Amino acid sequence: MQLMTIGFLIGCAFGAILFMGGASSYRRILGTLLLKDMLIIKLMCTAIGVGTLGVYLLDLGGLANMSIKPAYVGGVAIGGVVFGIGWAVSGYCPGTCIVGAAEGKADAIFTVLGGLLGALLFSFAFPYIEGALIEPLNFGKVTVQDLTGISGIYLALPFSALLLMLSFVVLKDRYD
Amino acid sequence: MQEQKAIISWKVAGVSLGLLLTLATFLVKPLGVSTQFVVTDAVVMHAVAPEATEKNVYLAKYGEKEAWGIGYGWMLVFGMFVGGLLTSRVFKSRQPEVDKGSMPKMWEAVFGGSRQKRFAAAFFGGALLLFGARLAGGCTSGHMISGMSQLALSSFIFAIFTFGSAIAMAHLLYRQRG
Repeated sequence: MQLMTIGFLIGCAFGAILFMGGASSYRRILGTLLLKDMLIIKLMCTAIGVGTLGVYLLDLGGLANMSIKPAYVGGVAIGGVVFGIGWAVSGYCPGTCIVGAAEGKADAIFTVLGGLLGALLFSFAFPYIEGALIEPLNFGKVTVQDLTGISGIYLALPFSALLLMLSFVVLKDRYD
Repeated sequence: MQEQKAIISWKVAGVSLGLLLTLATFLVKPLGVSTQFVVTDAVVMHAVAPEATEKNVYLAKYGEKEAWGIGYGWMLVFGMFVGGLLTSRVFKSRQPEVDKGSMPKMWEAVFGGSRQKRFAAAFFGGALLLFGARLAGGCTSGHMISGMSQLALSSFIFAIFTFGSAIAMAHLLYRQRG
């Protein structure tokens, strides 16, 4: 019960940040993908920069409840390509279409409905693609820390610094 | 374009999101959205066609039966809806006009004013989004933001292929405008 309340509150904050930061805006998403408007990418790099530092500082104290996704290269790569096409065509991602729907945007509601269908189609397609795309080339739940043998915090510090540099210094909007 | 700023800057939004992810990782686990589309499907399908749902390997494999249904993750996504609903009402006057409504100006300039066409693209795009996300094991929040913050190999692969494909597709769609 308490866990559900925590989930709800974290979700509220997440939704509020996405809306107020302009992440549910079609113009911003497509502007980013057309490499003209850097708002979304700067927002994401900042979030990942702060998040990496936060997660690995927690990890130092043994307090991080990590959840690493397995690296099955074929499925992750092809899934990424399909996802990317859907992202550019709809102008939303799974989180921002929820927020767009909350704003009352009809196109976002259609993206949510399409998403429910896409997830359902995948659940029925799964037995047919598991053998080809998910089982082979599976390196498991590995992190860069596992791959390099370098302690996570020493990777997190420069990675975080790089992302924050990108956001705050390097990336600039390119309007004609 | 530039003067139509979002309600909070990308700096405030980005830092808040990073801190929220840290808090979530401390309290429960990192953020994720796309799994809940499957959960919603599973809840609906269990009610509508229980037999077909029982036989569905994916639904059976991804989570114990008790884990399906309305839990922490689903409440998080429901919270996103409520958070978006509340802030979009409270800050309605501060949202740029160009970001309101379901017919983006950019889209209209290239693909015309047909609502059906825009909604069909949104629906089809949504289906690709979630098919792709489930195949890859996550989406922008779970794979990119949470995954890269944990320095997960799979999430770097996902980010490279997603951005590559999305950037190419966006340029293809808007090639007339350059």
